[in-house]
Amino acid sequence: MSSAADRDEMTEASDAVGRTALLSAREVTKRYGSVPALAGADLTIRPGQIHALLGANGAGKSTLVKILAGVLPADGGTVELRGVPVRPKRPADAFAAGVATVFQDPTFAPDLTVDRNLRLAGIDRGRFAGWADRLRLGGLDLDAYARDLPLPALRLLDLARALAHDPQLLVLDEITAALPGDQVDLVFSVMTHWRGRDRSVLFITHRLREVLRVCDEATVLRDGRTVATVVPGEGGERRLVEPMLGEVVAQSAAGAAEVPAVPDRPSERPEGAVAALEARSLTSREHLRGVSLRVHAGEIVGVVALEGQGQDRLFDVLSGNRPFDGGELVVGGEPVRPRSPYDLVRKGVVLVPADRLHALLPRQSLHDNLASALYNRFSRWFSLAADEQALVGRTVARLAIDTRAQRQVRRLSGGNQQKVAVGRWLTAGFRTLLCFDPTRGIDIHTKEQLYQLLRELAGDGAAILYYTSELTEVPLVCDRVLVMYGGVVVQELPAAAADEATLLSAAHGLQEVA
Amino acid sequence: MSSETSAPVRRGRAASVRRWVRRRGWTAGVWLLLLALIGWYTTLIPEFGEFEITSIAKNSLPSVYLALAQGVVVISGGVDLGAGGLMVLSNSTAAALMEGQPPEVTVLIALAVVAGAALLNGFVGWVIAVSRIPDIVVTLATLFIFTGVALMVLPSPGGGTSGQLRYAFTGSTTGIGTNFGPSLIAIAVPTLLFAAWLTRTRTGLSIYAIGSDDHAAYLSGVRVVRAKVTAYATGGGFAGLAGVALTAIANSGDPRFDNAVNGTLNSLAAVVLGGILLGGGVGSVVGAAGAGIIFFTLSPILTAMGIDPNTAQVVRGGVIVAVMVVAGLLQLRRWRTQ
Amino acid sequence: MTETETSVRDDRAGARPAEAGWAGYLSERPLLVLGAVLALLVVVTVAIEPGYLSVRGVRNTLLLAAPVGILAAAQTVLMLTRGIDISVAMVATLAGYVVGSQAGTGLAYSIVVGLLVGALIGAVNGVGVGVFRVHPLIMTLAMSAILLGLLSQWAPTIFRGVTAVPPFLRTVGGGSFAGHLIPYNALVWAAVAVVVILGLRRSGLGRMIYAVGDNPTAARLAGVREWQVLLVVYAISGLLAAVAGVLIAGQVGSVDLRLAEEFLLPSVAAAVIGGTSLFGGVGSYSGTIFGALILGVLNTMLTFLNATQAMKQVVFGVIVLGLAWAYAAAQRRTG
Repeated sequence: MSSAADRDEMTEASDAVGRTALLSAREVTKRYGSVPALAGADLTIRPGQIHALLGANGAGKSTLVKILAGVLPADGGTVELRGVPVRPKRPADAFAAGVATVFQDPTFAPDLTVDRNLRLAGIDRGRFAGWADRLRLGGLDLDAYARDLPLPALRLLDLARALAHDPQLLVLDEITAALPGDQVDLVFSVMTHWRGRDRSVLFITHRLREVLRVCDEATVLRDGRTVATVVPGEGGERRLVEPMLGEVVAQSAAGAAEVPAVPDRPSERPEGAVAALEARSLTSREHLRGVSLRVHAGEIVGVVALEGQGQDRLFDVLSGNRPFDGGELVVGGEPVRPRSPYDLVRKGVVLVPADRLHALLPRQSLHDNLASALYNRFSRWFSLAADEQALVGRTVARLAIDTRAQRQVRRLSGGNQQKVAVGRWLTAGFRTLLCFDPTRGIDIHTKEQLYQLLRELAGDGAAILYYTSELTEVPLVCDRVLVMYGGVVVQELPAAAADEATLLSAAHGLQEVA
Repeated sequence: MSSETSAPVRRGRAASVRRWVRRRGWTAGVWLLLLALIGWYTTLIPEFGEFEITSIAKNSLPSVYLALAQGVVVISGGVDLGAGGLMVLSNSTAAALMEGQPPEVTVLIALAVVAGAALLNGFVGWVIAVSRIPDIVVTLATLFIFTGVALMVLPSPGGGTSGQLRYAFTGSTTGIGTNFGPSLIAIAVPTLLFAAWLTRTRTGLSIYAIGSDDHAAYLSGVRVVRAKVTAYATGGGFAGLAGVALTAIANSGDPRFDNAVNGTLNSLAAVVLGGILLGGGVGSVVGAAGAGIIFFTLSPILTAMGIDPNTAQVVRGGVIVAVMVVAGLLQLRRWRTQ
Repeated sequence: MTETETSVRDDRAGARPAEAGWAGYLSERPLLVLGAVLALLVVVTVAIEPGYLSVRGVRNTLLLAAPVGILAAAQTVLMLTRGIDISVAMVATLAGYVVGSQAGTGLAYSIVVGLLVGALIGAVNGVGVGVFRVHPLIMTLAMSAILLGLLSQWAPTIFRGVTAVPPFLRTVGGGSFAGHLIPYNALVWAAVAVVVILGLRRSGLGRMIYAVGDNPTAARLAGVREWQVLLVVYAISGLLAAVAGVLIAGQVGSVDLRLAEEFLLPSVAAAVIGGTSLFGGVGSYSGTIFGALILGVLNTMLTFLNATQAMKQVVFGVIVLGLAWAYAAAQRRTG
């Protein structure tokens, strides 16, 4: 909506902006314990502007959002709204000050009806109804429990409620991640309408295309600092990506060089070879609509997908954490119907879950964590394994885990925690490893160690199914890759052909043209 | 177009009846069960008249109030093992102070006791919210403390109150009679008002919200600590009222520890049977109040049937376990069908 | 000395530092604090009553602390799995009745039956909590009510009004040796303590108890079937309660319905004072032993001060609350 001329003016007048800004955050800092999350972030949003906040994982975006929303107090710096300093102590203060946030997770209390949730927040019903209609929620049953509503509807309800607060600044944290395309368009139309009323929107997203489509300006964070303020469109996605990645690009390029390329392995296997793990048309509610895949001993099979395409459920089902509705799960040639993860663990199929908090015993020692998978059966309850020390020692050595903060693993760094999550299976032994996004949010060095480790394990004969949200990892780690979309595997590619562009288009459900 | 993502739309009549049954069915069922039990009771004893109604109504008052007290705390996601202790403390304090006082003064004392209990328990709620000590530990400690103080206030059973205060709860200045009106009012009015407050005001809804998901509630602007304190404070107020009612019914105070423990246990049982989910956010205090009366009527019914009234304890325990097992299985099914 | 250790740890990269300074040092070593509190209490008690350290004082404290300590072992193990057992007092009472009524058919036999009954009831609790996911508080509360109801009926019928306890048990429960210095029940307690401490530290089950309490999801994904752990743990709790019940019956010399009632709350309090968290995964039985001893000494001290039962309750309550608050604060500082 805003013309190119407007944009030029904006960038030039950036000094004057300080006075006329709708929101102006200066030198905001925040530490968690000894870990700095924000080390001096600046953010200036002008009235009538859709402003994007960009940055890689761990750059400090969500911390900054939480500070603006009153969820966390800032350690230092100032935030001004229309020139008035604000320091919200809790979300209610932020609403009152004119900042309404739609958070990543739904904020409707699940056991209350929609109507009661609105009353709880003191929402003007008429105003809410107007926005709900605009978001095509007009037909929604206000007397339904929030927990019975699908996630996209909850996201839009959150948005309608935030709008009904009539805020000066609307903060949208990853709102489009859970929405199908037509509803994303609705959100965008609301955002542009909001801008038309001389109010502003702060838009946080991972999808750069969306930034190019609707945002007037973008602030890029890296390592807790504001590193750039750019006008999207000038120079395309690349302009946005460069400041986000910074040295990481260089590092990762160097890292890639160190990791030896995947050795050429004969892609054909002997006819009739038994797969270590095979899924035949697995279904699970609306999440999986018939997934078939085979993982053989000695190979790493990648899985890529956009958010919410059923990959979480797939790993849940394959690990026995949830029952499946239909299809067959075959391990080493035998069909199994697991009642709990134990049934698959006994058969050597083990999971390294997405959230490290699901794999760790946070208040137990490093040693106890690494040994924890040794004692899952009754027959081992009455003593300790004689070779426990040796097994754990071997794992520590193999993973090069930093053993200094070993009294409680919650004090370990993220990378070391991830090593522990993998390590407990090295101690106990396994045949098939299900790895769900193990490298999310850990440092580049540990990432490389993990790649190396997985490749060694596969070399030793393990079968590995590897979901990753970072597409660039696929050629580094995997032998072949499966692309999931809408609850099914839509495509299989050899690792060599799996460049980012191909994967992305496949992950969007676009079939290869060639 | 986007019908698959935009949720349940307004429903037809049959569907809304089904929904009513699903939502209010448990509460309605509890009260129907109570009526059935009383109906059965009338066939068991030779004569069932106003005297029996009065007796059941007035004697179940403390259980009802304590069920309300426990109910609001459990709805907020907590548990209050000290509720019985607070009832005993209020009972002892009221009896000690009211003895020999004119009616107006006893009413003032009653109000002061209820307010004091609310303040005291509000402080307990604040400690739980701020310190993040498990509620079980904190309220176990308050159970000790409240009963200890009760023993200091009134070292042995005794004390008294005014006839007028007795009338307000029992329908008779002597505590014995056939006028069941005041007792029924004393059950119905506070229960219904409290339920309405909980489900229709922002403060009441905030108590449900923090029990349902305290983080989501916080993000949508609820002041979590304040809501927690309010839940414990109102719960404390009802525990105080239970103590005052006890004083009025018995015309004395009884500081014994057993009374406190039994009060807490009964209130938890009532909450569970009443359909309030441990963990918070779900259920109605109306159901808990009905369940409180049910557990109270078990003993006379069993006696009338010629069964050892101690069996009431067994039945109570069995019912609680059965209800919890069913709830557990339902929750498991819900998880599996997601 | 403490500073160098922690600051060295701070300087190393990769590991998040532990809390620096003496507060952090102490919060890592709660046994030190508990030992100091116990010593302080003993000193105060001696100041009040110089004869305390004589034979009788120590004996009386141990005599009282042993059953609490054994019941608290049950609570400790359960609290490590995020559980609690309100039914221990009724299980103990039931075991007292069973042993009393079976004593005629042989002492050893009666004790074995009594302990088995306890374990069985514990296992039923375990099925409720582990398999049907009933909240531990509610499950054991209900069990307590059921047992009370049944015992009230059975006491005059099936148990034929048993009141007396065989002399051997009276010796074990209330007698003492080594010049009347150490009660026999403390010996039983010591045996229980060795088994529980070693079991928690040196057995696979012990590891799984901590695992299930610390993070049930991680335990499940590691192939642990939580219900099995809970079933066994509640059975153990029932067994320990029965042991305590037999000792209490021996000490009192007779059985009645309210035999073990007064031990319930101290059993939870001892575990809480000893630093076991009700949120699971944190704590040890060594801490609980200190907790039981602290309660025992405190009780003796208050008796010397002529404190009423009411006063004792208030003091116990305040102390539990205060220490729980201190633990919660320490947890947050280091978290």
